[in-house]
Amino acid sequence: MQSPTIIVAVVSMLLLPVAGSSAQGVNDAQIASIVVTANQVDIDAGKLAASRSTNGDVKGFARLMVTDHTGVNKSATDLAARLKVTPQDNPTSQSLKADGDKNLAHLKTLEGAAFDKAYIDHEVAYHQQVIDALDKTLIPSAANAELKALLMKVRPAFVAHLEHAKRLQASALNEG
Amino acid sequence: MRIATFAAAVGVVLCLISPAAGERVRPNTHTVTIEGMRFQPETLTVAPGDSVVWVNKDLVPHTVTSEAGGFDSQIIQAEKSWRFTARKKGDFAYICTLHPTMKAILQVK
Repeated sequence: MQSPTIIVAVVSMLLLPVAGSSAQGVNDAQIASIVVTANQVDIDAGKLAASRSTNGDVKGFARLMVTDHTGVNKSATDLAARLKVTPQDNPTSQSLKADGDKNLAHLKTLEGAAFDKAYIDHEVAYHQQVIDALDKTLIPSAANAELKALLMKVRPAFVAHLEHAKRLQASALNEG
Repeated sequence: MRIATFAAAVGVVLCLISPAAGERVRPNTHTVTIEGMRFQPETLTVAPGDSVVWVNKDLVPHTVTSEAGGFDSQIIQAEKSWRFTARKKGDFAYICTLHPTMKAILQVK
């Protein structure tokens, strides 16, 4: 069982390449790729949880993650297309994808309350880390004003999701 | 009899020409912006008969749902809006059912 601490540490390491390279700047094409990948990772986890969880609140949250992150991704890809920016693969987006796949593989070994706890714990850690990445790296590094505005517009959704996930984490379903 | 008829006619005319006597003022339309996962303004006061339009400027869908019943927008997609005409007086706390952190109040009085 992955602990939230380990997940946070792993995600932090994944995001370090961005932080580390911020001196040279993460370019907009790389930011676009990071945003799309980060959303896709949570969509995939949400689809799994929506089908596998037996808890109504967790299923509802999972469906919301699929809906909201799909909406954010559509806006991001629409903007990238309009700006003629092709999302550029980079170490951070690759690591996000690898971590997402690892999370999915881990979740697939679980069921019932153990599944719900692992899913929600990961959602809390994931959203916190994405908010940190937005604040410390992605928003400051975005060169295009519209991309920067989009990132700032996305942020409150991640904050709301984090609060929502924390409520579920603190609820009885996640005890024990 | 003539006097009574005349008085009635005057009364009718007065009702027709005086909005205050015959009918209420024209209803207003108010706007609540949904942006940054918040309803803005969070408290809106309107008169019965007024309309409220909620405009979703977020990237994600929302709902405008009275917790005690009375109105429910269902899903308002990004960049879409929903109009409601307030008829019943009272304070209506409402939420977005998708995002439980989003709360606001519509006061009708």
